Amino acid sequence: MNKKKSVSYTKYGYIFAIPFVVAFLVFQLYPILYTTFIGFTNLKGLNSKDMSLVQGNPFQNFIDVVNVESFRTALKNTAKIWILNFIPQIGLALLLTAWFTDVRSKIKGMGFFKVVFYMPNIITAATVAILFNALFQSPTGPVNDILCSLHIQDAPVQYLVNKTTAQNVVIFIQFWMWFGYTMVTLISGVIGIDPAIFEAAEIDGANRVQTFLFITLPCIRTIMLFTLVTSLIGGLNMFDIPKCFLDGGPDSATLTTSVFIYNQAFSGSYIYNKAAAASMIMFAIIVFFSCVLFYILRDKDEAAMKKLKKMELREAKKLAKGVM
Amino acid sequence: MKKLVAGMLCFCMLAGVMTACSKTDSDSSGKTTINLWTFTDEVPKMVEKFMELHPDFAEQYEVVPTIIATTNGEYQPALDSALAAGGEDAPDFYCAESAFVLKYTQGDACEFAAPYSDLGIDIDKEISDAQIAQYSVDIGTRPSDGAVVGLGYQATGGAFIYRRSLAIEAFGTDDPDAVGEIIGAGTQSWDKFWEAADTLASNGIAIVSGDGDVWHAIENSSDEGWIVDGNLNIDPKREAFLDISADLTANGWSNVTQDWTDAWYADMAGVGEKPVFGFFGPAWLINYVMVGNSGSCDEDGNVVSSFAEGQGTYGDWAVCPPPVGFFWGGTWLLANKDSEQKEAVGQIIEWITLDCTENGLQYMWANGTLNGEGGTKDTVASGTVMAMSDGTLDFLGGQNMFDVFVPANDYANGSNLTQYDETINSYWRDQVRQYAAGEKTRDAAIADFRTTVGDNLDVTV
Amino acid sequence: MSTNSVSALKKRKSPIYMAVIYVVCVIIAITCILPFWIMIVNSTRSTPQIQQHALSLIPSGHLAQNIGVFKGKDFKPSVGFMNSAIISTSATILAVYFSSLTAYAITAYEWKLKNAFFSFIMGVMMIPGQVTLIGFYQAAYRLGLTNNRLMLILPSIAAPMMVFFMRQYLQASLSIEIVESARIDGAGEFYTFNKIVLPIMKPAIATQAIFTFVANWNRLFEPSVLLTAKEKKTLPQMVQLLRGDIYKTEFGSIYLGLTITALPLIVVYLLLSRYIVAGVALGSVKG
Repeated sequence: MNKKKSVSYTKYGYIFAIPFVVAFLVFQLYPILYTTFIGFTNLKGLNSKDMSLVQGNPFQNFIDVVNVESFRTALKNTAKIWILNFIPQIGLALLLTAWFTDVRSKIKGMGFFKVVFYMPNIITAATVAILFNALFQSPTGPVNDILCSLHIQDAPVQYLVNKTTAQNVVIFIQFWMWFGYTMVTLISGVIGIDPAIFEAAEIDGANRVQTFLFITLPCIRTIMLFTLVTSLIGGLNMFDIPKCFLDGGPDSATLTTSVFIYNQAFSGSYIYNKAAAASMIMFAIIVFFSCVLFYILRDKDEAAMKKLKKMELREAKKLAKGVM
Repeated sequence: MKKLVAGMLCFCMLAGVMTACSKTDSDSSGKTTINLWTFTDEVPKMVEKFMELHPDFAEQYEVVPTIIATTNGEYQPALDSALAAGGEDAPDFYCAESAFVLKYTQGDACEFAAPYSDLGIDIDKEISDAQIAQYSVDIGTRPSDGAVVGLGYQATGGAFIYRRSLAIEAFGTDDPDAVGEIIGAGTQSWDKFWEAADTLASNGIAIVSGDGDVWHAIENSSDEGWIVDGNLNIDPKREAFLDISADLTANGWSNVTQDWTDAWYADMAGVGEKPVFGFFGPAWLINYVMVGNSGSCDEDGNVVSSFAEGQGTYGDWAVCPPPVGFFWGGTWLLANKDSEQKEAVGQIIEWITLDCTENGLQYMWANGTLNGEGGTKDTVASGTVMAMSDGTLDFLGGQNMFDVFVPANDYANGSNLTQYDETINSYWRDQVRQYAAGEKTRDAAIADFRTTVGDNLDVTV
Repeated sequence: MSTNSVSALKKRKSPIYMAVIYVVCVIIAITCILPFWIMIVNSTRSTPQIQQHALSLIPSGHLAQNIGVFKGKDFKPSVGFMNSAIISTSATILAVYFSSLTAYAITAYEWKLKNAFFSFIMGVMMIPGQVTLIGFYQAAYRLGLTNNRLMLILPSIAAPMMVFFMRQYLQASLSIEIVESARIDGAGEFYTFNKIVLPIMKPAIATQAIFTFVANWNRLFEPSVLLTAKEKKTLPQMVQLLRGDIYKTEFGSIYLGLTITALPLIVVYLLLSRYIVAGVALGSVKG
C-alpha cells in the first residue's frame, strides 16, 4: 500500500523538473559546451574561425594558463579579497540577524534598518566604483582632506596607487555591498523557523545568546550552507567592482581571476582559448571547495536517515526475493 | 497565488506581443535603411544635419544609428560581432576612436573596411584638394593594399596651453612666440622644457599638473610604437617617461595629479596646491574641458567673469607649439565592405570627412556653426577649411588658436601607433606611477610591465 | 562568555545593550544611505561643479538643465523603463516560479535521478560567467534571438542558484505531512504546489524576487551586446549613452540617469520588503 503510493507520485518529480531542464538545454548548455570546447582549441584573435584542436598535449592551454604569472597573482588576490571580506561580512550579518529576529527585544525602527542595510546592493557596481574612486582621490579628495585636517596624516596619500590600500578599499566595498544581502538571506531563513520552537526555548529558560546559538543557528543550517556556497562562488567569480574600480590595478593588486579571464578574452588580443581554459580551472577550483563545504555542513540526520532507508529497502528486497 | 500565475502569464504575453510588434515596424517607412554604429551621438547629429541639407537623400534613405558607449569596453566586442555576423543588421558604416582605430584600419579588423575609392570617392584628388592632415590619412590607410579606408573630421594636433600671468611672473613675457622659445617649441627635445620647469619651480609654479599631461606628448613623439614585428618594444623616449614622471614628483614640477580627477580640474581654475603653468592638449581640450573648469563660469556653464576681473582663469591663457609634436583623440569613419549602400554611405562620409566648402561639415565644425552660431570651435582635418576659418577665442585673450594648432598637425604622426595602444598604455602608466611613487625600482617596473603585457596580449615580450 | 554577561543579557531590555544596537545600526545605516544621497545631489549639480568636487552633500539648482541634456541625447526614460520593466519583471516571475517548482520536485518527491539532478544544478551554478558570454551571443545568434528581449527573459527559467536556495529553504520549513494531508483531501499535485507550498515559501520568494529583480534591472553587459536596436535598449544602457566621449561627459545628467534607474528598484524593493520586515509567520500550517 505504502509502496504503491510513493511510486505513483514519482513521476511528478520528473514533470516538475522539466521546465528547468528544457530552459537549461536551450539557453545555457550551448554556451557552456562551447566554452569548454574552445579551451582545447587554438581559437584566438578576432574573427578567427580556427577551431582546430591543440596539437600535442590536449591540455596545453591549461598548462599555459597556470604558468602565466598574472593568473597566479589573480588567484592569490581573489582568495585574499574573498576571505577578508567574507569573514566580517558573515559576522556582521549574523549579528544583525540575531538582533533583528530576537522576539524578546523589539528594536524600534527595525524595519527601517533592515530595508536600508540592503540598499548598497541596489546601486550598480559601476556607480559604486565611481563614488569610491572619488572618495579616495589624491592629492585632494574627501578622505585625504579629512585625514589631513585631523592631522592623522601629514601629506596626501596616494591611496589608489598604493597596492595595499587599493586592495583594502576593494575588500571594504565588497563587504559593504554584500553584508545586507547576506543578512536578508539569513533573516528569511530564520523567519521560516516554526515560532513554537522559540516559545519552547523561552519557556525552558534559554537566554538570548543560548537561543541564537542552539536554536536559531542549527535551524538555519541549510540556509547557512547556501550562503557559504553562493558567497564562495560569487567571491571566486568577483568581477564588477575590481573591473570598474581600478580595472585590476594598481600593479595588479585588485586583479581577480574573472577580470583576468575577461581581459584575456575581450581587451585586446581575444585569446579565447586561454580564457576558456582559465574559466575551466576556476570551475574546478570552485567545485572542489563547494564539495568541501557540503561535506562539512552536510545534514548528518538526513544522511543517517538515508542509510536507514537504504537498509530497509534492501531488507524489503530480500523479503520479496524470499517470497518469490 | 492565482494572481501571481495570472500576472506571470500577462507579462509573458505582453513581452511576446512587444517583441512581435517591434519586429514588424522597422520596414514600414519604405526607405532604404543605412546602419550606423558609433559610440557617441556626435556623428548621428552630423548625419541629421546632412539629411537637413540634402532633402533628396533623406527621402530615399533612413540612417539608423546604434550607439554603444566605449565605457567598460562594450563597443568593440559588440561592433566586432556585428561585423563578423554580417546580414541585414550589420553596420553599413561605423566609427572608431583614436584609442582603437588602428584595429579597424590596420589591425585585426581591417579586412571589414571598404576602401573610400569603392564608395565613389575620388580619394587621392579630394585628399589633396582638402589638404587633409597627413597623420589622419596615415592612420586611415590599410597597409595590405595601401587603400584609404578611414578618415577623421577633427584634427587633434596638440599644443602647449599656458597661463599668461604666470609666464609674465616667471619669464617676463606672455607672448606665444617668446614663451614657445623658452619651452623649446618645435625643438623635438625636452631639454629646454625642463629648464623652464626649474625656473618656474623657483617661482613656486608647477609646469604641469601631473605626469599624464606630459604622457600624451611623449607617446606620440617616440620613434617606434609598442609593438614591432609582433614583439613588445619599449622606445627609449617612452622609457624615459619613467624618469620624467619621477622627476616631476621629486623636483616639485607638478602637483602630482591624475588626469580626469578633481585635482586636475582644480589646476585649470588655478586653485590647486601650487599654480600650474600649462596643459598639453588639442583644441577640444580647451573647448570641452578647460573653459568649463576655468573657474570663471557660473553654475550654468556660461562665462560670467574672467581672470582680468579677478575670478577664475578665463582669458589668462595662450597657446604655443609644444616641444615635441603630438596628437590626442579623434574619430575616424569607416564603411563596411559588405554594405549594399556603398554609394549612399560614400556621400555621407565624403560630406563629413572631405567636403571643404562652407556647406561641408568641417567648415561648420571649425567655426562652431553646426548647431547655429556661437558653438564651440574646433580644429578639423582639412587644411583648406582651416585656412578659411577663424579660431579667435576670448579664452585665449583673443589669440587665434588656429595659428598654432594647424601647424601642430604637421608634427603629429600616426606611424608609432599600434592596435593595442589603449591597453598597453594603461599598463605602462600604471607601472610608471608605481615607480614614481617609490613603490618599486625602475628595473622591476619595466620587468613587471613586460610580464603584464605578455600575460594579457598576444605579443611576444 | 562569563556568567555575568549572560545574566545581563537575560534581562529583558538592558539599556546598554539596546544603546549599542542603535549606535551600530545608525552608523551602518548612514554609510548605506550616503551614496544614494550623493547620487541624488549630484543629479542636481552641473558638470563643472561635479568635476571640481565629485562629492557634495548640498544640492544645487541644475536639475532642469540636466533633464535638458536628455533631449539632445536620445535618452528616452519611458522607453528604457518599459524595456527594463518587461525584462526584469518577466525574468523575475519566471525565475521565482520555476525555481520553486524545481526545488519542490527535488524536496518532496523520491525519484531515481533526484540526487544526480541536484548535483547537476549545483554544478551548473559553479560555472564562471565571464567566458560563457562568447557562447551566449553565439547561442542567441543561432536561435535567431539577437535583438530580442526573450533572450534575456527565458533563460531565467533555469536559475540554479535560486533552485538551490529554495531547496535549502524547503528542507528547513516544509513538512511532508502537510503535503500528505493535502493528498488525502484529494488535492492534485500541481494544486498542492500552487495553493499550499507556494504560500509557505513567501519569505523565500520575496527575498529571491528582490535579488533577481535588482540583478536583472542592473544588468548591462548582456543587453549591450544583445540589444543594439534603439527601441529595445534598457535603462542602464541608456545611461551609458549619456557618457559620450571622455572629453565631454555630462556628469550631472549621468547621475540623474542613475537616479532614475535606481528609483524603480527602490520602489519594488520597498513593496516586497514587507515580507522581510514584518516577518510573516510561517509555522501557521502547523499550529
